[in-house]
Amino acid sequence: MKKGDQIISYAMILPAFLLVFVLLIVPMFQNIYYSFFEWDGLKAPVFIGLRNYVSTISDNNFIVSLRNTLIWVGFTLVFPVMGGLLIAIFINGIVLENFFKSIFFIPITISFVATGIIWNYMFSREMGVINNFLPLIGIHKKVSWLTEVPLNTFALLIGWTWQQLGINMVLFLMGLVTIPKDQTEAAMIDGANKWQLFIHVTFPMLRPITTIVITMAMVNSFKAFDIIYVMTRGGPARTSETLAVTMFRETFTLFRMGYGAAISVILSVIVITVSSVYIKRMTRKDLLYY
Amino acid sequence: MRMKIRPGRIILYLVIIILVLIWLLPVWTTFSVAFKSPQEYLNQKFYQFTREFSIIENLKNTFKIYRLHKHFFNSLMYAVTGAGIAILTASMAGYSIIRLRPRFNFPLFLIIYSGTLFPFQMYLIPVYKLFYSIGLYDTKLGMILIYSAICIPFSLFVYRGFYTTIPKEIEDAAKLDGCGPFKSYLFIFLPQSVAPTAVVALFQMTWIWNDLLFGMVLTRSPSARPIMIALASMSGPSGGTIMPYTMSGVIFTSIPTILLFVLLRKYFISGMVLSISAR
Repeated sequence: MKKGDQIISYAMILPAFLLVFVLLIVPMFQNIYYSFFEWDGLKAPVFIGLRNYVSTISDNNFIVSLRNTLIWVGFTLVFPVMGGLLIAIFINGIVLENFFKSIFFIPITISFVATGIIWNYMFSREMGVINNFLPLIGIHKKVSWLTEVPLNTFALLIGWTWQQLGINMVLFLMGLVTIPKDQTEAAMIDGANKWQLFIHVTFPMLRPITTIVITMAMVNSFKAFDIIYVMTRGGPARTSETLAVTMFRETFTLFRMGYGAAISVILSVIVITVSSVYIKRMTRKDLLYY
Repeated sequence: MRMKIRPGRIILYLVIIILVLIWLLPVWTTFSVAFKSPQEYLNQKFYQFTREFSIIENLKNTFKIYRLHKHFFNSLMYAVTGAGIAILTASMAGYSIIRLRPRFNFPLFLIIYSGTLFPFQMYLIPVYKLFYSIGLYDTKLGMILIYSAICIPFSLFVYRGFYTTIPKEIEDAAKLDGCGPFKSYLFIFLPQSVAPTAVVALFQMTWIWNDLLFGMVLTRSPSARPIMIALASMSGPSGGTIMPYTMSGVIFTSIPTILLFVLLRKYFISGMVLSISAR
């Protein structure tokens, strides 16, 4: 390459690089640095080593938040992911496939905040729609979904499932389309029933996409913030917080910046660990050779 | 051939129909409440439909009380400029990394791409502090900068993947015609980038429009606050807001993203395929 071209090639990368470097990469390292300090955002920060990390263990709010986060991840794997898979398998190829697909796809097109508001209303005690349906299953009192533990986390997760299931379903449908017809036909001729077909043919063929969907869904549930913030603000009494919400509260409501930074580092370590499968595939170099 | 109707099949259909009804219930509820007047909302049963159709009146009130229209235009501006800057800078960088291949192109790509790996909580405190100290806190410029920075890594990934698929002959022909690297980006590669640009526009504009976190942390006044903060303030765990107003706001603020999905729906799948197949 000519020298001038070399300079141009770097100059073309520079704007993107600068924006990301100054606003994301440097802050990331600063954030790790802050996590070793006690700091209220006003007074000078005091270096306390690892004490922010150590004190999470004895912080009841943190423990509750961590437990909620794990509940979120577990619930996400069962309902939005497995539910999405089952619905995808069922509607794949049936007459009304596109109709069903669009119905489950609707929530993807609106924001988490809108979803939170809608489900906040659905679950509200006095005017909410859900409580109106309870007499049908024999419950004749008004349930305070959003202010009782563990119902509040459950209510949040219903709203979350409503929004997230569609995206997983679409991804699984994408995977199902790529399964060659002759494979399933051969199994059918060999006398496999629907269940055997699923276990021995469909599911193994879906493996690659399943890995991606599971990782993506787990990472997303670790990061969930908007729905919780809108529906319960993590409350009452911080009982429905997850790590993402706890970080926000400690930092910007209680002004324990160093502690908040430490929580965000812990959250990042978890998220990076979970998505490492993904990253490995991502950083393959072979894409570079055309 | 006669289709055998098995009971298992019928139960499956019943289950899926019930699920469809559950999925539609919140949608129907949103519209039903948004059309009611506040009086109707208090007096009618939840399944009764409005007689007054006061959604326009409700929406006017959200403009008056929550200044929803102002935040709406803030976010429209953020979505267009933020995604626009990401599209320009990322396509340029992607072209350079994959076609010009300067030294360290792969490490440079990895550094930029690493911006998608961390949860946003990782950036909040330092960016807040940085913006505060250099006067970008609570400004439109600050929001545009952080939104485009967040959008660049994924956009770069999409363009980088796309530019590997353009045949080398096209580039060589351009070279023979005396096109320098920048010209060949501007006149040959960029005009061909309709598909990746549509993917980036759909995903990133939607993300910026829906953002709550950065808006809450980095802005304070209505002149800079994005739409989702205004919308979130119309509802809360304690209630106390007028639901028909809130629901009309929910519908109003969802129009742009729904439009984007309808217009660019064929790119949704290809975008998913693109980002997954490369992974």
